This record gives sequence, structure tokens and C-alpha cells, in this order.
Amino acid sequence: MPGHIVRATVPITFAYKNRVGHALEQYINGLKEKKILGVKCPACKKVYVPPRTVCSKCHKPIDQMVEVGQEGVLKNFTTAHVNIVNGEITGVQQPYIIGLIKLPGASSLISGIIKTPSVHDVKTGMKVKAVWKETTQGDYNDLAYFEPA
Amino acid sequence: MNERVAVVGYKQTKHTFDSPVARERMIYELVKSLFKDLGITRDDIDTFIFASNDFTDGRTISEVYTVPRIGSFMKDETKVEADGLSAALYAYMRILSGLYETALVIGFSMAGSEFRVPLTQAYSLDPVYERPRGIINYYSTSALQASAYMKKYKFTEEDLARLTVKNLQNANNNPYAARKEPTASVEDVLNSKPLYLPIRQAHVSAYADGACAVILSSKKAAKKFTDKPVWIDGVGHFMDTYYIGDRDLLAMEHLSAAAKKAYKMAGIKNPKKEIDLAELHTNFASEEPVFAEAMGLFKPGSGKDVVKNGESGIDGAMPVNPSGGPIGANPINATGLIRLAEASEQLRKEAGKNKVKGAKTAVVHAQDGPGAQLNTVFVVRR
Repeated sequence: MPGHIVRATVPITFAYKNRVGHALEQYINGLKEKKILGVKCPACKKVYVPPRTVCSKCHKPIDQMVEVGQEGVLKNFTTAHVNIVNGEITGVQQPYIIGLIKLPGASSLISGIIKTPSVHDVKTGMKVKAVWKETTQGDYNDLAYFEPA
Repeated sequence: MNERVAVVGYKQTKHTFDSPVARERMIYELVKSLFKDLGITRDDIDTFIFASNDFTDGRTISEVYTVPRIGSFMKDETKVEADGLSAALYAYMRILSGLYETALVIGFSMAGSEFRVPLTQAYSLDPVYERPRGIINYYSTSALQASAYMKKYKFTEEDLARLTVKNLQNANNNPYAARKEPTASVEDVLNSKPLYLPIRQAHVSAYADGACAVILSSKKAAKKFTDKPVWIDGVGHFMDTYYIGDRDLLAMEHLSAAAKKAYKMAGIKNPKKEIDLAELHTNFASEEPVFAEAMGLFKPGSGKDVVKNGESGIDGAMPVNPSGGPIGANPINATGLIRLAEASEQLRKEAGKNKVKGAKTAVVHAQDGPGAQLNTVFVVRR
């Protein structure tokens, strides 16, 4: 048995330029115009947000974009006391809320950050609305967070 | 074609947070020791299946380095990038095909000492939606699931802490477990560091260095290995979508479907009565009632009473994770396979302090992906 353990640092750095695909491109373009877009499956009529090109259940292509509402109901949430960045779990100064929201016209839930004066004000079933960045750029952060409606 | 497949041998390492040996030596020693126990050599194994992951190994096609260690050099060999129970499912099907009579399945990782688990988990998230947004991860997904369960069924933080302590006590009596907290109390769990509430640090499984090897064989070949085969009588394997907002995190229809399929194959009509114990792959303590209920082991929403009445304890009506489960050791890739080894040990009446009396039929579960996107279920009998 060796007297001490020797470790090699094994760096792995990859940066990919994945194309987000046809459906998410339209979603992101929609965010730039302060719109939340989903897709409607021609078979089961479900509306999925974010949009994708195939309905998992029906195994049919979806190409019908629909706009969904921006004021919905908070269905579920967790209070985050940490962030996970680059695999490191680090504490945050101010706990924040990650919620799952049902928007009018959407069949699936959308995840987002919920901002309230205190995290204790957040309740399942409360109405929340989308808050946009003042200047949108065509990225996910354009839809900044949700706040009580 | 072979008709029935059995677990004929199994062995796991003593899991740790800082293995004194490298993975290659760890799996070599494990496999050699299992072969020695059974009085066999690598010549007695027809096909070898790894459960590993290039991200957890830090290199691609990682088995090129591990093949010599498990004895699969110049033999039929493959690798599954998923939990070891998925690899066992492949082995099971290979033997059923009749092309192979015996298979060695091995899962391992150095999750305790060599890499940041949340980083490898992040690499399995949707790269073009969830990863750039940075709020949905394995922890927050399971927290949303826990939150949904707790609110709907009035399952309190204290109930969750009791459940965690139950598993910690079982783990304390498990000689292979890495996490030993014999004095941990409900208060300790309630006061542990908040991560994504309701999930706290104490609820998180013990990511560890470790490995598990299991040998499967046809009925015909089983006698060569043991006079105590454990039969795999039912299997199910279902995946849900990766979009968290599409899923019913509570009903877990895919897990429920996997369990139903396995029960049907095994001729089980009433799992509550016909199953004697469950070994579940839970990454967080909060997953236990959700999974057990989706699998039909308890009435939906009964988690509170189950904890209070000790129904899932070793002496309860339906012991869940008598081994302590992943709360005691979660060497990623091996974790589900360990559930199979632990259940086999119980059915062969070889379990130590955690023995479940009179156990004849067990259900074994494994998961992959955020919030258990993929689930594998085995029904095993002795």
C-alpha cells in the first residue's frame, strides 16, 4: 500500500455551440417581443411550454405555435437557500423561490423565479405574473421572474 | 431461449468517502473476491456488462481501462451509461435470449472523492433549455416533488426527519454503508443545512466511492454457482420526459407503470400483501414515500401514518430500505445494483443485523435522471 494518495487533476473543458432547435428559437424570439410561446399538439391538443417539435405521448410532429397568457397560478415551489454553479453548492445571501407556474392556455407548467418582498409571502395557489427585463435581448433572461399579480 | 434467470452471486465494497484504492483496483479486488467465494474464474462468465458513466470516470469509453480488471479481456463485454440495475436488465435479457448462460454486472464510481456530483448531474440536464437557465437541477426537482407531496398529504418536516433517521439507523447496522451517524436525531435532521427546502443536507443520499458486482445465470447454469438462486421473476423499465413542467411529480406514472409491468410478469396481484420488502434507489429521503406509493406498496398519501406506525421499518409490514438505502451509501452507477444485492441477501437469509424475517419476495428499484426520470423495477424471489 502506498504511504499517501496521489491525485491527478483531470481537467475537462468543453464549450459547445448547440443549436437550440427550431422550436426554442421561436420561443426565444418570442421572449424578445415579451411573448410566451408554446406549441399545440395536433392530436391531443395539449399546449407545451417551452415548445418542442414532437409530442412525446402522441409521437406526432408539432409545428403550431400558440401564445399563452402571462398571468397564472403558482402550483408548486421550493425555497432555495443555495445555488449550484459549476457543480458547487454555495449558500445565497437571500433565499429565493423557484416555482412551477400554470399559465392560461398552457397544459404544462413553466419553471421560474418568484419574487416577493419576503419568501414567507409565497403560497401555493397564488396568482403570479411575468416580469420582463426593460430591454429584451432575445435570451431566456428576458423573462426575468414572476411576481404576485 | 432460456426461461428463468437468477441472481447467483453478488458482492459490494465497503463504501467510503475517500477510497484508499483507485477504481481499477477496487473493482479488480471486488470481482476476484466474488469469483473466489463462488469457486469460479472469468472463464465461467459468458458476458460482462459495466454500469459506468464517462462523466463520472473523467474520460470517454471509460471501460477500455476497466476491462482487464473485471476479467472481460477478449470476452463479450459492453457498458451501460446508467445505473447498474439497467445493466442487470441487459444481462437478464441477454441470458433470456439463450445466447449466454451467465453474466457479470458491475457498477461503480468514486462519487465520494473524485468529482462534484452536481456537476456530473448538470451534464445530464437539457443543454439548450434547463442548463442555460440554471434553476432546475436534481436537487431543486426533488425539492419540488417533496414539496408537492408534503403539501398534498400534510407530511411534515418532522415526518421527513423521522424517515431520514429510520434510514440512518438501518445504515448504521449495514457493514457496507459509508455514512454512519448512529446518534443522529430528528432534531439534528430538522436543524441541518437548508438546501432547496423542504430538502436539507441530512436528506441527501451519501455520495460515496464504491462498487457492486452481481452474477446472473440461466436456470440451467445456476447450480454451478449456488444452491440458493434468487429468481428475477418480473422487470419493468420506463422513462418520463425531461421537461419537469410536463411531469406529474407526485403520481410518477412511469414508475407506477414499471412496477405494474414487473408485478404482472411475476404474477403479483396485490403487492402490499405479496411483497415482503422493498429496496428503493432514493437520492433524497423525501423520495421514499413518493416512490413506494407509486409502486403500490402503500396507499397514496399514507406516508405520514407509515412513518408514525413504523410500517416501513425492519419489523414493519413493508420494510423499505432495511439496508438504509442510498442514505447510507450512494456510489452512483452502483446504487440500484446494490439494491438487488441487498434484496438477494435478505431473501437468502444472509442479512446481518438488518434481517427481515421470513422474506421470500422483494421489489428492487433504481433511477436515473433528475427527479427519477428513468425507473427500473425488478421483482425477485427465493
